[in-house]
Amino acid sequence: MTKRQIPHHPSRATTKPQRHRSAHCLRILRALSAFIDDELPRQICQEIRQHLGACPRCEEFVASLRQTVSLCRHSPAPVLSPDDRALMREKILAAIRQ
Amino acid sequence: MVPPRSAPRTAKRTSTAHDLREAFDSLYRDHVDLMYRYASRLCGETEAAKDLVQETFLNAYRGFKQFRGEAQVSTWLYTIASRACLRMRRRQKGAPQRELSLEELVPTTDGEFHLQIPVDDLSPEEALQNKQLRQALNDAIDRLPPKYKMVLVLRDMEGLSAKEVGTVMGLNERAVKSRLHRARLFVRRELSRQGLAGSSPSQRADTDSE
Repeated sequence: MTKRQIPHHPSRATTKPQRHRSAHCLRILRALSAFIDDELPRQICQEIRQHLGACPRCEEFVASLRQTVSLCRHSPAPVLSPDDRALMREKILAAIRQ
Repeated sequence: MVPPRSAPRTAKRTSTAHDLREAFDSLYRDHVDLMYRYASRLCGETEAAKDLVQETFLNAYRGFKQFRGEAQVSTWLYTIASRACLRMRRRQKGAPQRELSLEELVPTTDGEFHLQIPVDDLSPEEALQNKQLRQALNDAIDRLPPKYKMVLVLRDMEGLSAKEVGTVMGLNERAVKSRLHRARLFVRRELSRQGLAGSSPSQRADTDSE
């Protein structure tokens, strides 16, 4: 039997140590941002969905990546106060005049 | 009576300066909040963010003539701010840019597959009410090497398209997407490692040692 190249699912190795499965997972993981951004051709999306249905860990991984992106998208940003806005404008105009 | 020859020139010059000032005021008024948001996401600290905004508008004023209106004004400003940020960073002579490899970002232990933070069944807005989570997210993004951080901030926080991020950073779309994927995986891993409410440090240590 060939050695597994990537120690991807170590705890599952005892139940089903398949090289193909690990390599397949890695290939899926490489394409996940494009998958969640809906940038992949339909056929590849289908292939990924099929894999996710059969591989709970990859499914969990996609969920966690989606959550991460969603948190980034909704992360609040500090707001400039009106005083700071006016003060910065003055500083820029002073620098322009120099 | 014929006016002195210099009069129209002076008037024109004044008018041009006046126009430029008006254009600047309008640019500043309409985009300062956007630029401050971007700058604070890139720099974190308030003062550094303000410095970057000032540098951005100063460079924009000086470069008004170069702006041909082919790009959106906001894309033009993002480009100026991004370049200014990289210049400021070079002046600080920080650590050299680190490359992120996909292999290091793929989970190797059970616990790292799941995001061990309190987000399940919550909307992102609700989840982000949690101060610890907000801090963990900001820390994770701050730890990104700058060139990855810029892509993530522009794409996932500022909402630019991959093509626009490419325009701003001078990259092709493929490079943008590759950096974005690594940046997201990095932030995901950092959040997963942190593990917040619901898994105490001792519990996490147990999980890691399994």
